[in-house]
Amino acid sequence: MLEELKTLCEINGISGEEGAVAEYICSQLEGNAEYKIDNLGNIIAFKKGRQASGKKVMVSAHMDEVGMIVTYINPDGTLKISPVGGIDPRVVFGRKVEVGKNRICGVVGGKAVHNLSADERKKSVPFDSMTVDIGTDSREESLKLVSLGDSVCFDSRFARFGDGLVASKAIDDRAGCGIMLRLIREELEYDTYFTFVVQEEIGLRGATCAAYTVNPDYALVLESTTAADVPTASEEKKVCVLKGGPVVSFMDRHTIYDKELYSLAFKTAEELKIPCQTKTMVAGGNDAGAIHITRQGVKTAAISLPCRYLHSPYCVIAEEDLENTYLLVKNFIDRIHKR
Amino acid sequence: MIDTLEILSRLTSACGVAGEERQAAQTAADLLKEYGSVEISPVSGSVFCRVGSFDKTKPTLLLDAHIDEIGLIVTYITDEGFLKVSQCGGVDSRVLQAQMVTVYGREKLTGIVASTPPHLEKDNTKAVSVEDIFIDVGMSKEQAQQLISPGDRVVIETGFNKLCGTRVTSKALDNRAGAAVVLKTLELIKDRQTAFNVCAMLSSQEETGERGAKTGAYAVNADMAIVIDVSFAKTHGETDEDCGTLGKGPMIGIAPSLSSRMSQRLIEIAKEKDIPYQVEVMSGTTGTNADAIGVSRGGVMTVTVSVPLKHMHTPAEIVDVADIENSAALIAEFLESAGDINA
Repeated sequence: MLEELKTLCEINGISGEEGAVAEYICSQLEGNAEYKIDNLGNIIAFKKGRQASGKKVMVSAHMDEVGMIVTYINPDGTLKISPVGGIDPRVVFGRKVEVGKNRICGVVGGKAVHNLSADERKKSVPFDSMTVDIGTDSREESLKLVSLGDSVCFDSRFARFGDGLVASKAIDDRAGCGIMLRLIREELEYDTYFTFVVQEEIGLRGATCAAYTVNPDYALVLESTTAADVPTASEEKKVCVLKGGPVVSFMDRHTIYDKELYSLAFKTAEELKIPCQTKTMVAGGNDAGAIHITRQGVKTAAISLPCRYLHSPYCVIAEEDLENTYLLVKNFIDRIHKR
Repeated sequence: MIDTLEILSRLTSACGVAGEERQAAQTAADLLKEYGSVEISPVSGSVFCRVGSFDKTKPTLLLDAHIDEIGLIVTYITDEGFLKVSQCGGVDSRVLQAQMVTVYGREKLTGIVASTPPHLEKDNTKAVSVEDIFIDVGMSKEQAQQLISPGDRVVIETGFNKLCGTRVTSKALDNRAGAAVVLKTLELIKDRQTAFNVCAMLSSQEETGERGAKTGAYAVNADMAIVIDVSFAKTHGETDEDCGTLGKGPMIGIAPSLSSRMSQRLIEIAKEKDIPYQVEVMSGTTGTNADAIGVSRGGVMTVTVSVPLKHMHTPAEIVDVADIENSAALIAEFLESAGDINA
């Protein structure tokens, strides 16, 4: 599963440019599920189970990752960028990036720290003062390699480290995509819909349409959520912790989750004897925000992987949480069908 | 002779945080062997390479480039198993959050600099300082203590990459670019007559206060020195007034603390041999090893030759390989004919 997560994370796909991710996913769906791609680029897959429950259950994860987009090319050849999705500018400055489909290597930089005033040194570099340098000296030179609107992705290494941890860009939400692919390759008890959706990071847009099309009775969103279990956060602000198992939310900034499904998730984890936790803050949001208010409304749950340093070049998760999230999701889907 | 890109790639991938230069020094020493007798000082960690046999009638010239790089040093392991660090040299702390680092503990370990999650961060306009950060090594305190000790060095290792044309990016181009100039220079003067006895020195601990240069210059006891380092190339929004320019050739230093005769001679040679160059005027000392070397023993005539570099002290430094090669060409010409500089 880790091997496929690495493959998925290394593909570049900011919101609106999910094509390469979709291409890989479709290659894996071939022969394992029926699928179609809708007008926005969502993949809507149907996996036949051993039986039909009479309930339509939709499991969803988003394909897009946060990144940047080229908005302007300066006369000196450097590129101006804007964030796509919520990114703290402090995790962008000084990084290696890949620009466009040809993955042109560049670095994000600005004035050397030595040449800053005392005041400037205390401030982070905002996006409008950053430029990407690809080694050119003129706009003409840059235009041969880069176009306005090209995506800019973190060039970060996928690495296992410490005691069973994994670091990479784009774990949010390729981890969710990876779990769904694993489920689709296995035999399932019940007929189930799986949607790989676009444009979550810029406002839950893909899920809005995918949920309309599928028109499910129940939905389960697979996500990665902020684990703030770092020394700077007080106990109640940790939200969730690594190695604490999958995270089931009761409420976030976009959704108040279905109470029965919430309890059912915990009950399922208990029976499986795997750890499970909830979010201790009402923070963040995910595609459930769009899905649960689709048509007349959909009973929705979200199961998330606890993830440190979300929306940065190095999201960090624990391998055991990934495995436990998969286990919970697999069994939880059956429980929903059996209700 | 291997090409400049290969030299740079090998030198930059070696770890050489100030005070712990062994790996970088050894890499450089292996490359220097071809050109003379090489020795790594057991005290300072600096690398010395004497070229050929010294002729007592000739003046001795010291070719210096510092081999150390900026980095972090572990000071404490928290109860949660995170590392606290201090800086070795002037780290640009604006680049630290959510960086992958290598911790040189009992073994090489990967860590991630913890960033404050957005929901807990009210103000992302503030730069963090080195003292604020925690390094996540994914272990409990007990596990971490088995492998990591206070004093271990930490480096942001991002790899060596080619950019467009002859530009490259990496960490530690400050000053492995200078070390590469030294190597290329020695290659150019190989089997050629020089006006000087040449001793190359890849000195330790420049970033923490030019300490390797101080003891090294004493040891070499040279008459003259050329200090090769990097200097600021303009980035977007900066002008020619502020900085040098990438790709426009070596930056020849002129300063009250430098030998104006050496500066002028370098400029003369550059014009004569059609080597592109830039002039870097500093109004006092230079912020390089030249400051320490110039006042070694009874005094050393010293000049700086700097390779223009963007994004200094970040893991995303950029140099132009052509500037390195032109720096070496300029210095090699100087070594061959000192002109009237000894008169």
